[in-house]
Amino acid sequence: MRRWMGFVMALLVAGVTPALAQQKSTLDKIGETGTLTIGTRTGSPPFGYVNAKNEWVGFSIDLVDELIKPALEKKLGKPIKVEKKESTPPTRIPLLSSGAVDLVAETMTDTRTRRDSVDFTLTYFVTGAQFLVKKGSPIKGIKNIDGKRIASQQGSTNARIIRERAPKAILREFPDQPAAFQALAQGQVDAYTNDGIQLAGLKAKSPNPAQWDIVGDFYSYEPYGMALRKGDADFRNVVNAGLMEGIESGKFFEIYEKWFGPKGELPYPMSPQVRSFMLLQVVPK
Amino acid sequence: MRYQFNWSVLWTGESGLWLLSGLITTLELSIVAWLLAAALGVVSGALRTVRFWPLRVAATFYVEFFRNVPLLVWMFFWYFAIPPLLPQLVQDWLFAHGLEFWAAVCALGVYSGARFSEVLRSGIQSIPRTQLEASVASGLTTFQAYRYVILPVALRLIIPPGTNESLNLLKNSSVALTISVAELTFQTRQIETYTAKAIEALTAGTVIYLILCVSIATIMSWVERRTAIPGLIVGGRQRR
Repeated sequence: MRRWMGFVMALLVAGVTPALAQQKSTLDKIGETGTLTIGTRTGSPPFGYVNAKNEWVGFSIDLVDELIKPALEKKLGKPIKVEKKESTPPTRIPLLSSGAVDLVAETMTDTRTRRDSVDFTLTYFVTGAQFLVKKGSPIKGIKNIDGKRIASQQGSTNARIIRERAPKAILREFPDQPAAFQALAQGQVDAYTNDGIQLAGLKAKSPNPAQWDIVGDFYSYEPYGMALRKGDADFRNVVNAGLMEGIESGKFFEIYEKWFGPKGELPYPMSPQVRSFMLLQVVPK
Repeated sequence: MRYQFNWSVLWTGESGLWLLSGLITTLELSIVAWLLAAALGVVSGALRTVRFWPLRVAATFYVEFFRNVPLLVWMFFWYFAIPPLLPQLVQDWLFAHGLEFWAAVCALGVYSGARFSEVLRSGIQSIPRTQLEASVASGLTTFQAYRYVILPVALRLIIPPGTNESLNLLKNSSVALTISVAELTFQTRQIETYTAKAIEALTAGTVIYLILCVSIATIMSWVERRTAIPGLIVGGRQRR
């Protein structure tokens, strides 16, 4: 038996190690294949979702298409195309590490723990966690969820904070947002917690938005960044340069307006603090 | 650029505890679902071979209906579609008392039962028809003939494919994480959330499943040898 297990472990290690060791730089890979593969969401409006016309769109996807893609094309001197794959909180880091995707552009919070495994671009959106409840629910924020059943998305930062700050709450973690929302709609859980902006998107897209309330102060700080494979500074510089040029030229704010402006998918005006934070992230040429 | 392994994430912090609680949940879920599946499988497998056709049709319907829909769909079915059909009071009670676990037991048990059923049917049908006829001729009722003659032989015959299905059940229990049951795969993802070390966490899960399944397979092959019927099942390996 022991001999046998040793053999299995050897197989596993032999299978995994070379695959990781042989990775070449992402820029070379994109140059060769002419394709930038991104991981993004299918059910997180308005960052990445499939709309009523069955098109895969969103704010994060637009940033890649309109800011990062041109920057990469300029750097590589040839046209590239963007290919989308679905990623979710539990799968996005493995997808990136294994090389299945080159860039995760969805709703990923930049954290110090995650920076041990992946690198992040500039912050392109700022939000915080709240709760979505049925109208009239006694839940008003993180202070009164003890003993309540709270749905969250598995692999998100929210679940972790709930576990630390409200250990008496009963956490129910779902792999994706539609399942968690369904559980809330049917009463399997009392509230669903996620980043405020995502709850607003979910509420707006639900069949009966007036039925839902978003409650509580932000109980966390969630700066969104795009994730890249760790230690590939050349690729990250090009991606960041694309974002910086977009912020500098105002194109970034146009895209923001398209999704979050008064006529956008989800009106969510950018506060003056966030605007100046975005501008301050841009370093000189 | 190279991925940096950090295996210590598996034993620092709460990781070990999470893996243990995930393992326990996986075992609880699998054992309860297995009991349900075995009961359903034996009854419906036997019914599929009886003369009386309405029972045969009912058992065939059960098998074809439940084994031909993906397990994931059954998970959502028992978790999301069944509770709204129940009275409000029952619903509230269920929601407050671990509905996820029982929905997963039903989904896994009923689905695997349909697969066990086919295994048992093939076992029964491999026994010459004359055995049943001889039992009935000796004065046993059909029920008694199945209970005392056919099933004891059939159940021994199907140990290898039955073990196969049981291992499938154990591994399929990981689908329960889609309805928020905190089993082993769920906990490996949990470690990944806290440490952002996916490959280490997945490897831990893989090794635990592997050890579990290999142990069960080893025990069952011992059971198989012990219960072999001389002359009828010789087995791939002769006892010295």
